[in-house]
Amino acid sequence: MSSIALRWRRTLAVALTGVSLFSVTAASAAEITVWCWDPNFNGATMEEAFSRYQAEHPDDTINVVIFDKAAMEQKLQAQLASGTTEGLPDIVLIEDYRAQKYLQSFPGAFEPLNDHVDYSTFAPYKVELATVNGQTYSLPFDSGVTGYFYRSDLMEEAGYTAEDLENITWDRLIEIGVDVKEKTGETLLPIDPNEAGWLRIMMQSAGTWYFDAEGNATIVDNPAIKAALETYQRLAAADISKPVSGWTEYTGSFTSGDTISTYSGVWMTATIKSNPDQSGNWGVAPIPRLDGIESSVNASNLGGSSWYVLSSAPQKDMAIDFLAEIWGKDVDFYQKILVDQGALGSLMAAREGEAYQASDEFFGGQPVWQNFSTWLSEIPSVNYGIFTEEADAAVVAQIPAITGGGNIDEIIAAIDAQVRQQIQ
Amino acid sequence: MAEDALETRGRQVTRSNLARSEQFNGWAFVMPALVLLGIFMVYPILWSLWMSFQVGRGMNFSFGGLANIIRLTQDPVFLRALSNTMLFLAVQVPIMLILALLCASALNDSKLWGRGFFRTAIFLPCVTSLVAYAVVFKSMFAQDGILNQMLMGLNFISGPIPWFSDPFWAKAVIISAITWRWTGYNMIFYLAAMQNIDRSIYEAARIDGVPAWARFWYITVPMLKPVILFTTVISTIGTLQLFDEPNLLTQGGPSDSTLTLSMYIYNLSFRFMPSFGYAATVSYVIVVLVGILSFLQFLAARDRRR
Repeated sequence: MSSIALRWRRTLAVALTGVSLFSVTAASAAEITVWCWDPNFNGATMEEAFSRYQAEHPDDTINVVIFDKAAMEQKLQAQLASGTTEGLPDIVLIEDYRAQKYLQSFPGAFEPLNDHVDYSTFAPYKVELATVNGQTYSLPFDSGVTGYFYRSDLMEEAGYTAEDLENITWDRLIEIGVDVKEKTGETLLPIDPNEAGWLRIMMQSAGTWYFDAEGNATIVDNPAIKAALETYQRLAAADISKPVSGWTEYTGSFTSGDTISTYSGVWMTATIKSNPDQSGNWGVAPIPRLDGIESSVNASNLGGSSWYVLSSAPQKDMAIDFLAEIWGKDVDFYQKILVDQGALGSLMAAREGEAYQASDEFFGGQPVWQNFSTWLSEIPSVNYGIFTEEADAAVVAQIPAITGGGNIDEIIAAIDAQVRQQIQ
Repeated sequence: MAEDALETRGRQVTRSNLARSEQFNGWAFVMPALVLLGIFMVYPILWSLWMSFQVGRGMNFSFGGLANIIRLTQDPVFLRALSNTMLFLAVQVPIMLILALLCASALNDSKLWGRGFFRTAIFLPCVTSLVAYAVVFKSMFAQDGILNQMLMGLNFISGPIPWFSDPFWAKAVIISAITWRWTGYNMIFYLAAMQNIDRSIYEAARIDGVPAWARFWYITVPMLKPVILFTTVISTIGTLQLFDEPNLLTQGGPSDSTLTLSMYIYNLSFRFMPSFGYAATVSYVIVVLVGILSFLQFLAARDRRR
């Protein structure tokens, strides 16, 4: 009897030690989960950041989950709406256009970081985007400062140098495109008729948006929007673009040489540089400005995103600590991701680092990062509001009418009617 | 007498006991299914009905009365989605069912060589993975895809057809994709029903010298009427709920020309600023449409039978 009792006691003791051991290891070694959408860009920078954090916290690990961007946003929205937090990550990447929508429609879902991050060290417009009622929720990540990426070798064949593309208007670019096509037969741009990034670029270059600071639609009687739609109509009529469908076809058209240029955010650099045999054959010019619009400048923004910690995160403290330590302070880290991924971060101190001063052989020795930094400081600030997705859909619905040569005033009225209907 | 009465009463008691216990057992057996049905079917349906009267952004709901229904009538996107869906229904369902009927009657001919192979080949699309076939369709219909190259090589067209960037052709792609996928499925129903038609009817018709087309039209089709009605209703419901193909092939584009009601519901809930109440209202539009169309189809079939 006693031997059995003894054995029982021993088993229990072993089991208890096991449990306590297990809980100790669980407390010191943790894994944080991150959702983002680009293995070569934001995913890669996240891995790099964590490898630096790991140097101090060797037991901790990271699980970077990559989704298709739209799928990730919809999954996040569906799950936040369902109210169950199980399966949500610790950190999630959200595009700046959508930040306010998430923060305002799901109050309490994200963690304010004001106590952990010194926001005065970040670009102010990025901080503003993620602030609701004085609380800031993001660790600002990349900027979407735009540039006009072009094949310098093919442009030169047609007689255009880098200076010819400096600080031009969209209409001048269309002229150049027509001329290039006549001389070399090359197509200037890929255009996806299911996408309205061009309008967002043109609007922000003029310091305007679909909505004003109070969230009221400002589509009718907005000279910049009218000029942008007219410019797009002329661009389509000039027959210098190739229609593409979807992201893969879009990026494939200029990396394969079917088209010779594209306008995009600085984050496109990684995709363009993924083709090493085209090294030295690319150049970056400032984004064109709108003709006849006084406020339009040769600088704008497309996309850009930031990291958010979920309030429900299982490893919330560690996630915050990690973001604050590496993403919030490590200037050296920002040099590394700039060179490797072309990620132009929003930490201002990083701009003083040496990588930002260097020139890039892939772009024929242009000081591209310095240029992007300069353009970044010139981007007019706008309020994206919470309905950019709806407004984009309304514009895309009218693209066949625009390219078909329809009356721009009627098209604007149709866009406005749809937006007003959707934002109630 | 008294004994008899007693016996009858006893029998009645046992019988009612038996009946009661049978009834009890019966309910006990169906209870698990009923409870599950109630939780996962009846409750969500009632809840979504309640939701369809709510307005508000995200998780902030308030009762809006008929506000969502008024919104429906003024919503250009909803009207576009509705007309697209009805167009798919009006064009695709008849094409598919006629094709299925023709395939079935061809394959029902026992003298046809290799009919097992053709039957499998036509049925196969509806068991293939949806995403896999969408990827294949996307590459086939791409601007420089195999279909454009083939048509250009045969000199049918001078330039590539913009399958996915032109509203008309995008609709055509969607319609051909659904037809390709579901024709075989409907054909199997027709084939099964044709096996049940008595051979002697055809024999008698043949002896009387009835030509083949008339045998098809006056014997096969009327005999298949219940199955045709069934497939029409099923296909109507399926097309009204169409989501997968537009979502995978065109994302509703270009410019909402392939946007369906189900996609719009999805966009309202998960892509746009979530307005679940309005999304629920749109989903009830589908319910009402299915109800009306099914009723009309039953009515039409009944009238013809007289």
